[in-house]
Amino acid sequence: MSHLHIPDGVLPVWLWVAGWVATLAAVTVAGRVAERVDVRRRVPLLAVVSALMLVAMSSEIVPIAYHINLTVVGGVLLGPALSIIASFIVEVVLALLGHGGITVLGLNTLIIAGEMVLGWALFRGLVNLAGRSRVRLIAFVATVVTLAVTTTALVGIVAIGGSGATARESGALDPATLRFDNPFSRGVFSLGLFSGGEDHGHAEREQHTVEAVEDEQGPDETGLSVGRFAAVIYTLGPIGWAIEALLTAWLLGYVAQVRPGLIWGGHWQRSGGRMPGDEGTVN
Amino acid sequence: MDVGAIDRSATLGTGPLRSADPRSKLVALALVLGAVLVSWNALVLASFTIALLAASVWGRLPVGLAIRLAAYPAVFALVFAFASAPDAMTASVIVLKATTAALGAVTVVLSTPYPQVFAPLQRITPGIVGDAMLMTYRSLFILLEKFSNLLRAARLRAGLAGKNPVRSARVVFSALGGLMLYAVDLAQRDYDIMRVRGYEGRLRTTPAGSTNRLADVTILVGSLVMLATSVVWRSAATTLNPYSWLAPLPALAALGLTFALRRG
Repeated sequence: MSHLHIPDGVLPVWLWVAGWVATLAAVTVAGRVAERVDVRRRVPLLAVVSALMLVAMSSEIVPIAYHINLTVVGGVLLGPALSIIASFIVEVVLALLGHGGITVLGLNTLIIAGEMVLGWALFRGLVNLAGRSRVRLIAFVATVVTLAVTTTALVGIVAIGGSGATARESGALDPATLRFDNPFSRGVFSLGLFSGGEDHGHAEREQHTVEAVEDEQGPDETGLSVGRFAAVIYTLGPIGWAIEALLTAWLLGYVAQVRPGLIWGGHWQRSGGRMPGDEGTVN
Repeated sequence: MDVGAIDRSATLGTGPLRSADPRSKLVALALVLGAVLVSWNALVLASFTIALLAASVWGRLPVGLAIRLAAYPAVFALVFAFASAPDAMTASVIVLKATTAALGAVTVVLSTPYPQVFAPLQRITPGIVGDAMLMTYRSLFILLEKFSNLLRAARLRAGLAGKNPVRSARVVFSALGGLMLYAVDLAQRDYDIMRVRGYEGRLRTTPAGSTNRLADVTILVGSLVMLATSVVWRSAATTLNPYSWLAPLPALAALGLTFALRRG
């Protein structure tokens, strides 16, 4: 449940603008850090890992509205600085393909980058504690913990920005007083589509009804329900976490067996400027 | 995700949207996005969705593909709306916002080659980001095709059986494992090729201009009308909301007209 599938225009402007500012700052810093090492070597790896994540994200598991992310795998392969850049690239491509909101791109990048960096740090820390022989178990645990943390961050963002989203003065149609007036003969016909078809034709009565609804519900009940959102996310999410963790454990275990240099080389060794996986090649 | 079809639509084919300046299309997308951000009126948002469909028909884009791509975020928006919206009207607004914004983005991507879409971002981001963005999109084609071939091969060998989900999952996991190793080899090959070609840390993209000024003006005026409609409707919501049913009518007329012209 790594990134927000919240449409454009639901979160308040200050929140998504802050997300964009923080993301651009993080990407700029990460770009400068990454460029200190041999860029020519890093660009292709960064690109294919980003593309790999996009391939995984393109397949939705419909019943639980989840898709595989491969964020922890990407984090382990790329390290923290390149992970931030990869998450930005992935989100830009997804937004252009209509997959994610453009305004929430900044917040999405922060969440995915957090997931990749946290996954990398947990994997690395647990390997140092438990040893390289337990790669699968470590990858599984790191993925579940990472996804639980980032899902909580996601709910936190909705709680910060979403609770009052629809309670703002928005000009939304009111189901209780929905009318279909004729502009040439005002009030010729009206329908209450969402309230059982009662007659709400007169402006005075409409105003009265709106006030009555507000008195009855209270202003807060018109906002997004963060509690219900959290309940749904924490119910469906763990199924996705388990699938993602199993896949991550399988992938990293497989790679550790057939191409160990990909996991233990590169940023783990910090020497030679070689790309992970090509330690045996002659330059 | 059929990236091949998206790219074919963007680079091959003809039509006024494809001949317009990519910068005009990006500005128009920003204006449409502004309209989506401002409006909370379901019928006004529905009219924007219909207008964007009309633009796709006018631009001779693959409308079915555009709808399929825009429907993908709608599924996630439905879950979000179900989980958090206080009523059916708000839920429908949330789904319409997702669909309309996605349709706007998809219309640009289906009519513009990807280097031209990424070019503005390449100018404001560090070199490694812009270059990796261009190479990611290219790698995505290769990996999606490879993944599709791997799954097809597994299916032909009866490795993907619907009756045995555990076995199917193992096959998919194996395919992803193989794909990952292939991706790393691909990165190595790309690096070698780039080094031979003299890559020094910056891929250059030449911005494409417009070959159809009328198309530029049309899409900019159209998106400005959408933003203005959104702003006016929100500012005067009390007065205008009873007439919201009128908003989709011009968009429907435009859709009908563009369909008629395309067939004619």
